[in-house]
Amino acid sequence: MKRTLAQSIRLYLGVGVVCAILIFPIYWLFITALSTTLELKALPPTFWPDPPQWQTFAKVAEERPILLWLANSTIAAVGSVVLSMFVSVLAGYSLSRFHVRGGNSMGLFILTAKMLPATLLVIPLFSIFRSVGLIGSIWSLIIAHSTLIIPFTTWMLKGYFDTIPKELEQAAMVDGCSPLGAMVRVILPVSAPGLAATSLYAFVLSWADYAYARTFLTNSQNNWTANLGITTMRGEYVTDWNEIAAVSVFVAIPIVVIYLFLERYLVGGLTAGAEK
Amino acid sequence: MTSRFALDLARPSRRHWLGYILLAPAVILVALIIVYPLVVSLDLSFQKVGIARLDQPRKEFTLVNYKRLFSSAEFWYACWVTLKLVTVVTAVCFLIGLGTALLVNHKFKGKTVARLLVALPWAIPEVIAVVIFAWIFDSSFGLMNWILVTSGLSEKMISWFSQPVPAFSVVSVVLIWKGYPFVSIMTLAGLQSIPEDFYSAAKVDGANALQRLRYITLPVLMPVLGVTTVLVVLWVFRDFSIIKVLTDGGPVGATTTLSIMTYEQAFGFFNFGYASAVGMVTLVFCVLASLLMLGHRAKAMY
Repeated sequence: MKRTLAQSIRLYLGVGVVCAILIFPIYWLFITALSTTLELKALPPTFWPDPPQWQTFAKVAEERPILLWLANSTIAAVGSVVLSMFVSVLAGYSLSRFHVRGGNSMGLFILTAKMLPATLLVIPLFSIFRSVGLIGSIWSLIIAHSTLIIPFTTWMLKGYFDTIPKELEQAAMVDGCSPLGAMVRVILPVSAPGLAATSLYAFVLSWADYAYARTFLTNSQNNWTANLGITTMRGEYVTDWNEIAAVSVFVAIPIVVIYLFLERYLVGGLTAGAEK
Repeated sequence: MTSRFALDLARPSRRHWLGYILLAPAVILVALIIVYPLVVSLDLSFQKVGIARLDQPRKEFTLVNYKRLFSSAEFWYACWVTLKLVTVVTAVCFLIGLGTALLVNHKFKGKTVARLLVALPWAIPEVIAVVIFAWIFDSSFGLMNWILVTSGLSEKMISWFSQPVPAFSVVSVVLIWKGYPFVSIMTLAGLQSIPEDFYSAAKVDGANALQRLRYITLPVLMPVLGVTTVLVVLWVFRDFSIIKVLTDGGPVGATTTLSIMTYEQAFGFFNFGYASAVGMVTLVFCVLASLLMLGHRAKAMY
């Protein structure tokens, strides 16, 4: 199985070149944020700005309501994750442990729900929210994002609970726990990594949304999410690419950090539903 | 009262009740926020209605939306655009995804970092990906035009977003860049589940690298790849944010997929009835496409 030196060099070169090409757009976003507007209009392009304009980050943070946008995105994400996780944990546990009648058709339905185009669901949701006065409110996003999240989290969690031996709760019940107590005191603590991974995955789903935010919140600037805010920065005639890039870095960082530190768990969640 | 209730559930004959009780919140919520809106949408698609208000009486039943839909050139063109986009993006996503997965599946120092980097675009929000590529493909100062002109591949600067074919290409590039990491992640997970012994045994029998790929790797990966294909196809089918922010479906409808058409009809022209009809047909296509691709293995998806 030992590789020769030439094979090793080829492998490292291959991996290096492939990674460099695929990651280049992300590097370019950083470089754009760090360039002056003059450098951005120069040909040939500047591949390493000198000196790097770090103050662009401070400038956009001061001039644009980025903190507000990020706060709104966070509220929508946390709200929809809490709502979805609450119902999904209970439902996932039920589907994993009890042979409820209709459990299978529930599964089929959830499968269909994953296929729902957001552009289809956004129409009736808009009508419904308008009748109850939720248009423009962050609650509209919390509810709409839950429609994206619940189908995923329910099955990720069912899959996770399936991997936990049934003997655990049986032992707890022999020791006098009620079935509900066995779930809350024994199974949920043991499932903490799975719950965390699922919540983070749900957080990413909500954070990435643009369709619902654009439809429900366009006219209420105070509730704009980060993604919606960014798109308003692309002017019709002039776009300050260094500023829009700097804002983009702010918006991308939370998800990239989650990814870099928790890739193993996220990937576990991503593949759990499909690997069987 | 509470303790009697709990006691009851502990009895083996009553235990399955707990299953229903735990399932209830999810069922109620899903009924309220997914099923009910779907029914409303189906209902709207059979009415000639602009901006629908639920507190107003419903309009009369009519098939006019569906008739208009199937006789409209715009709809069939959107189907064609969707089909082209799904095919191109899925094919290239698989090429890059499989390639990168096989590459970083080797054992070498730094493979953990390489695996992280290879799938990093997955973590970039779609809107940000659009910002990046809109700038790279900027017609006056974009990097891509500079590369093409300097290398002699193109004689003049291309104005990417005002011509159909270039605009379609840029949309494809962004979708591919956002989509291939998923294929890569899924393939890598599949590859890790193949025992090393399989390869050792094949080597003993004298199989070369290509034969090992053909007779061991691909067959084991097949089920995972099947599910992954469906998920990628559905993702392209449903994409809204990338196309909307990048080209808004233009120029002259060259990047208007069924998803974009649905949204445009609803919130551009305020034809909620007609838009619902387009959306319903899109949903039917999605369900049919995944059934066709998975067949009896549809159950493996959940």
